[in-house]
Amino acid sequence: MDFTLSNEQRAWQMTARKFAEEEVRPISLERDEIEDPRATFDWEIIKKGSKLGFRTMAVPKEWGGHGTDFVTQALVMAELAKGDSAISKTFSQCWKWSHLIAATCSEEQKRRFLKPFLEDDTFLLGKGISEPSAGSDNRLPPEDPKAGLKLKAERHGEEWILNGEKCFIANASVGKLFFIDARSDPNAPLRQGTTMFLVPRDTPGLRIGKVFNKSGWRFYQNGEMIFENARVPHANVVGAVDGSDMKTHAAGDRTGGDLFGDLELAANALGVCDDACAIALALARTKTQAGRALFEQQLVQLKLNRMHLLTEALRAFVMRVAWEHDRKLHSANAGLCMNFSTEVIQEVTELNLDLHTGGVPDRRAEKLVRDAIIWSHLAGDSVQRMKATRRLGK
Amino acid sequence: MYSLHLSPEQLQIRDTVRDFVAREIKPLALAPQRLEASARPTLAEALEKASQIGLRTLALSEEAGGAGADNLTCCIVTEELAAGDPDVAAVLAQTSMLAHALFDGLMTHEQRSRFLPAFLADHRHHLALAEHEPDRDTALGINYHRPQPNEARFATVAVRSGDAWIINGRKDRVIGISQAALFAVRASLGDNGAGTLLVSRDTPGLTVTPPEANAQWHHGACGALVLQDCRVPAENCLAGDAALFCHAGGGIPQDAAFNLGIGRAAYEAALDYAQLRVQGGRRIIEHQAIGAKLAEIAVRLEVARAAIWQAAWASDHPDAVAERSLPDLPLSTIASVFAAEAIYRAVKDAAECFGAMGVMRDMPMHKYVHDARVCLHSGAGASEAKLRIAEALARYRRPAAPAAVLAAE
Repeated sequence: MDFTLSNEQRAWQMTARKFAEEEVRPISLERDEIEDPRATFDWEIIKKGSKLGFRTMAVPKEWGGHGTDFVTQALVMAELAKGDSAISKTFSQCWKWSHLIAATCSEEQKRRFLKPFLEDDTFLLGKGISEPSAGSDNRLPPEDPKAGLKLKAERHGEEWILNGEKCFIANASVGKLFFIDARSDPNAPLRQGTTMFLVPRDTPGLRIGKVFNKSGWRFYQNGEMIFENARVPHANVVGAVDGSDMKTHAAGDRTGGDLFGDLELAANALGVCDDACAIALALARTKTQAGRALFEQQLVQLKLNRMHLLTEALRAFVMRVAWEHDRKLHSANAGLCMNFSTEVIQEVTELNLDLHTGGVPDRRAEKLVRDAIIWSHLAGDSVQRMKATRRLGK
Repeated sequence: MYSLHLSPEQLQIRDTVRDFVAREIKPLALAPQRLEASARPTLAEALEKASQIGLRTLALSEEAGGAGADNLTCCIVTEELAAGDPDVAAVLAQTSMLAHALFDGLMTHEQRSRFLPAFLADHRHHLALAEHEPDRDTALGINYHRPQPNEARFATVAVRSGDAWIINGRKDRVIGISQAALFAVRASLGDNGAGTLLVSRDTPGLTVTPPEANAQWHHGACGALVLQDCRVPAENCLAGDAALFCHAGGGIPQDAAFNLGIGRAAYEAALDYAQLRVQGGRRIIEHQAIGAKLAEIAVRLEVARAAIWQAAWASDHPDAVAERSLPDLPLSTIASVFAAEAIYRAVKDAAECFGAMGVMRDMPMHKYVHDARVCLHSGAGASEAKLRIAEALARYRRPAAPAAVLAAE
């Protein structure tokens, strides 16, 4: 076993660490505390990060990106999340769909969409799956054609007309290009009746609704997308009609579509845990009780022990999953690691908050706990756990 | 005799309060601006209506004009109120508890005749305990099972000057600051240890700071008091033993009952939603994963309630320990620790049933999670409570610190 990072991996990690410390962390709490969920976003940090490559690092080199491997991506996500989990996620959301473009889009589509994405520091990507009545049914679709997403796609010659509504869509209010899953065959089960479309922000008939007001991850924009006779050219169909499932199914574990998403949440959690551990350790060394450092107390040591033990276990798992992705090894580990990261990020941030108990409430300790709560839904709910388990059964 | 029957009066009070909460409090508590964790507007009108049905004076003796409810009944009522709105529950519980402690116990006849009529006459007249001070630390962590005093001296000082006390200091985490008309201020009295002074809201030198943004870390619309050469008559000093104000663990598990109410609100919301939401072709409660999760939530809440009721009943029947019906343990602290940890977990699980809607600030679940988190982490926290229990298990008695040592600190 060799855990040594290459010079290139180390360089990316150091750049991300410096950027997180000098640029991301200083604005993190301030953005988090803005009341209006639409106003938490900050284009300056996106532009700065984009110039350092954090927006485009997952695009293959032959298309002008940085072509970083999964190990590098995991390192960078964790470093950025140390500064701010939601800002890290805003960048990595773009990688998620760069993987998809590289793996599934036609050459013509890559020319049309990858090129502007690479050239524009404010070009963000998103993907629309969730709908008000379809959450878990998209994750683990039942056979019933009535279950799952309902956004309707009807073909009219060389155009598709989309009607319906998406919710919680990442980067909805700031993205320029979205991958939208829509039902092209309402009589088939979800997996067999759904087509994926490339939908630019300025598509006629598409408008952005409200931005959701979350308790944590406030920088990260989740919004509504409303399609009213939205017209999308047939040339924007990704892969085959009725075949949106190709990212996980036909393409196996290669694309990193969903599988990158699993690694993404786990690596992001790791950065948050690193931050919580550092804060807790500093507190234990500097805060005193009756003139003596908190660190001297057994209960404090046991809490610090638990925080570090969980964080290091997560680090080992995250890096292993990234390494396995780079070697295209099939396993359920990405999903299991994502599930595991839920327990870890929540327990570690809660222990950090607990160590702050009794004094003035620490805003950052509290923010980390709020950021961590979203893992319950995204990474650790029973559907995400059963989904990972079913990969074991395959 | 061991009995789990509530009296007809207790059942009637519970039903009345539950109905009151459903009609008068829940609709207000679920209004969007009250779902935010910070700066929730005070429900002054709901508090007034609650007073009209006797909840402000619930624990006050009948002889003094209250309902004379026992501790178990008070806990039942606090749970019901907190299931509607924690701030309303905290303010009413504090006033009712203090009314009983002050008017039925600690006050002299003279003090009672000065303060009781005004209290009874006005439904908006609340009482508040001003005990906590910024940066005051019990230091129980570092002094666990060691003879050092476990209560720091109050930095708020009262000095006798002729026929008055002059008080100087700062207090924070004062519950119901906007409603309180009379404060029981804990202070150091010269070299004689701690005492309690009654300070009316309109006393010159008293500045009341309304709830601020970080009041979100304490339930009950807390604010701060600044006392600057605040002069009160000598007769405003409580003569009685103020031990009642110390949270020694043998007290009433009101905070745990309060916590339980928050848990129940989350549980009821999740149970309703799980019977409406359809995914995977069935109502989600019909899926094993969600069914078992709801079962675990119910288990935690029921066990917490059993611990709370036992502790409350024990505080109503002090002889139950002597006759060996109950163990000589800090049952109230035990109930609080269990409730805080179990209910936080239960509320998080309940929120998970709502998917992404569980974290949205315009939906109730995030509020329940926040409110339960506050119960777990505010005050001295569960770790310190466990150390208090541990000292009790070992029958450890901390020697009383001589006043001279305190003064030298």
